[in-house]
Amino acid sequence: MRFATRSFLWSFVPFTLLLLGSFWTIQMLVQSAVRDGIRSSLRQTHVSIAHVRTKSELQNSQFLRTLGENASLKAGVQLLTSEPNRAEARLTVQDQLREICASLDVDFLLVSNADGVALAGVMRVGDQLVAMDIARIRPPQRGFLTVGDRAYQVVSTPIDQGEENIGTLAVGERFDFSEFTTPAVLAHNGKVLKSSIPGIPAEEVEAALKSCSEHAECEVRLRGETYISLPMQSIYFGEGYVLRSLQSVDSASHPVQAILRNVFVLAGVGALLLAVVLGVLSSRSIVKPIAAVVSRLHESEKTGLLPEFHPELAPIQEIRELTESFNRAGCAIREGRENLHHAYVEFVKSLAGALDARDRYTAGHSRRVSELSCALAQAMNLNAEEVEEIRIGALLHDIGKIGIADSVLQKPGRLTKEEMALIQQHPRIGRTILEGVRGFQSYLPVVELHHEDWNGTGYPLGLRGEAIPLAARIVHLADAYDAMTSDRPYRRGMSGEQATGIIKENAGTQFDPAIVLTFLALGVPAQEAALASTARDVRTLLDVGEIEPARGRQLLH
Amino acid sequence: MVSRVFTLLLAGLISLTAVQAADIEGTIVIKRRLTKRRVTTPANSYDRGVSVTLRPDVEMDPLAMERSHVVIYLEGQLASTPVVATLGQENRRFVPETLVVPVGSTVSFPNNDPIFHNVFSLSNSKSFDLGNYPKGHTRTVTFTKPGIVFVNCHLHPNMSAAIVVSPNQWATKADGAGHFKLSDVPPGKYTAVAWHKTAGFFRETVTVSESHDGLVQFVIPLEAEDSGKEMARR
Repeated sequence: MRFATRSFLWSFVPFTLLLLGSFWTIQMLVQSAVRDGIRSSLRQTHVSIAHVRTKSELQNSQFLRTLGENASLKAGVQLLTSEPNRAEARLTVQDQLREICASLDVDFLLVSNADGVALAGVMRVGDQLVAMDIARIRPPQRGFLTVGDRAYQVVSTPIDQGEENIGTLAVGERFDFSEFTTPAVLAHNGKVLKSSIPGIPAEEVEAALKSCSEHAECEVRLRGETYISLPMQSIYFGEGYVLRSLQSVDSASHPVQAILRNVFVLAGVGALLLAVVLGVLSSRSIVKPIAAVVSRLHESEKTGLLPEFHPELAPIQEIRELTESFNRAGCAIREGRENLHHAYVEFVKSLAGALDARDRYTAGHSRRVSELSCALAQAMNLNAEEVEEIRIGALLHDIGKIGIADSVLQKPGRLTKEEMALIQQHPRIGRTILEGVRGFQSYLPVVELHHEDWNGTGYPLGLRGEAIPLAARIVHLADAYDAMTSDRPYRRGMSGEQATGIIKENAGTQFDPAIVLTFLALGVPAQEAALASTARDVRTLLDVGEIEPARGRQLLH
Repeated sequence: MVSRVFTLLLAGLISLTAVQAADIEGTIVIKRRLTKRRVTTPANSYDRGVSVTLRPDVEMDPLAMERSHVVIYLEGQLASTPVVATLGQENRRFVPETLVVPVGSTVSFPNNDPIFHNVFSLSNSKSFDLGNYPKGHTRTVTFTKPGIVFVNCHLHPNMSAAIVVSPNQWATKADGAGHFKLSDVPPGKYTAVAWHKTAGFFRETVTVSESHDGLVQFVIPLEAEDSGKEMARR
């Protein structure tokens, strides 16, 4: 995963979660606030309806009392009581009731006798006032009365003659929900008689309300919408009748939730954009320096070098620390490499020392050749690396002699032709030995080619002139000089001047003339002569271990 | 109409041949409405279920209506021939609403409606209560004292009728145009009385000779104070 993706996710996901969480919470809060609002508004409606009703009932009761004192109605009731089975008598009273109905604009009138048995009644059907089938009607003192599929709200007043009650007049109005600003439902013993919820048939409402207890507020679901339903309790409607008003929570909270949704979608999109921008910016500010570091590392991978980073370039503390630790690691690696190299060199030195030690006469040869070669190289203004290469190459130049038998190597006297050929194998052997050692590649030319002559008569390859590496040419001269000035079992070493003379003679044939000139300018034999007496003694003592190395070195310089 | 023309012709012939009696003719002048009449629907509405509503009567010219409800009679103890008259109940109205009978007459009150009616009167000259009775039944009352008898129905307060029991046989109602005629009045000086339910009594003196018919005109109402007096006297 890229850093940009990562940082985007890290910034966007919490944002999203936070948004979703707060959206949910706010939605819940809105819902509960809406619920509370609906409850209180339903209650408020009930209270005001009850208030209006009580007032109108008071007026109605006064009006009803007047109606109960209607003399002709009394006469009619008396007539009907005395002639209960005469159709004309019933017709007379029905006719009276019709007249009252028409003049008072009520929907239902019914007279019953003192025992509560209905005598005659009319009700409004369309624009007609039709006589009621009174056989099964027993009107309540007050409350609801259902006739067929019509619900009436009924109030009654006694009809008294003198001190005797002769009957009751029930006045009814067709019940409608005109007082309710919200949908409402009228139910009798769980059966919905009338419902003003638009578009939903009464049976569905009935099924939904089944779970509600009769006198408690409850929540119902109708066609996927949640309604709060509150029974009206301040007014008594008669046995088994419940009037409930309902209000949809969803439709009330819908506009608020729509706004909320818009706000949150906007916020979400904003957060997304912000997260993208922030992610890109922050990742760039981090990735850029890292990329720089990485490209440097790639480079160093190719070159094999471990360059130093400049921590000041990175603006971020962490990156700076990273580069610093890179630098430290690089440093450590370099140091390790150097140590390793040093160890190699030491190893090689000891190898050379061991070689030299095989023969008393060649003791110190490698070291002396190395020293002289170094001196020559420095005099020729070679750089430090090249000088180092020469120093170690010179130390190792005769390593191939390990592979040559002592009998040949230490043979006193002249060598046969075969023995000579054997001896001449040593540069190749040396090369073979060192080839396998990593990091020694640069010394191979010295080891292999330090017996090549300037005129091409040397061995093993017979190279000539500039084709022979400079380091090999230098070591060739130093080797020859040391060999000539050293003692051998079969002869004493010649003096420096003699050897110098021979070298001078061979300039241009055996040796590179330029190096010979440098050698002459160096004046090695004179220095040697001055040092010879003491140095030789010290060396001898050093080699046999009779004086300490430190002391020996002091004496030598 | 034909019979009325015939009677007039007959009366004219009688007056020409026998001159010992003459007529009193007159007119009733009413120039404004006196009654706010409200009537019930005349149609038979009991079975149809439409409510029986009261409404202004538009069938008749209101002034003609007023005039036709004016009763004219002569004061004084004169000859009286009792008759049998009918005051029916139809469509929750008394028919006729104004009835004139000479003293001693008997009035029958048949119920022609499919509902019960009740006929009663609390008037000074005659008070009675015939009880409730249904269609096809009737009750009769004999009026032995002259006076105005108002008849009502307990069951239907808007039903009312007036029976004018005249002291003698010379009593009549004006027609829609206001004309009236009392026939065969013996010569003499009379006080003619016009009575209207709302306006009250109006009296005019009229002289009838053997050769001259009496002519009288009533202007109803008179001044406010007179009519008030008449109302009080009633």
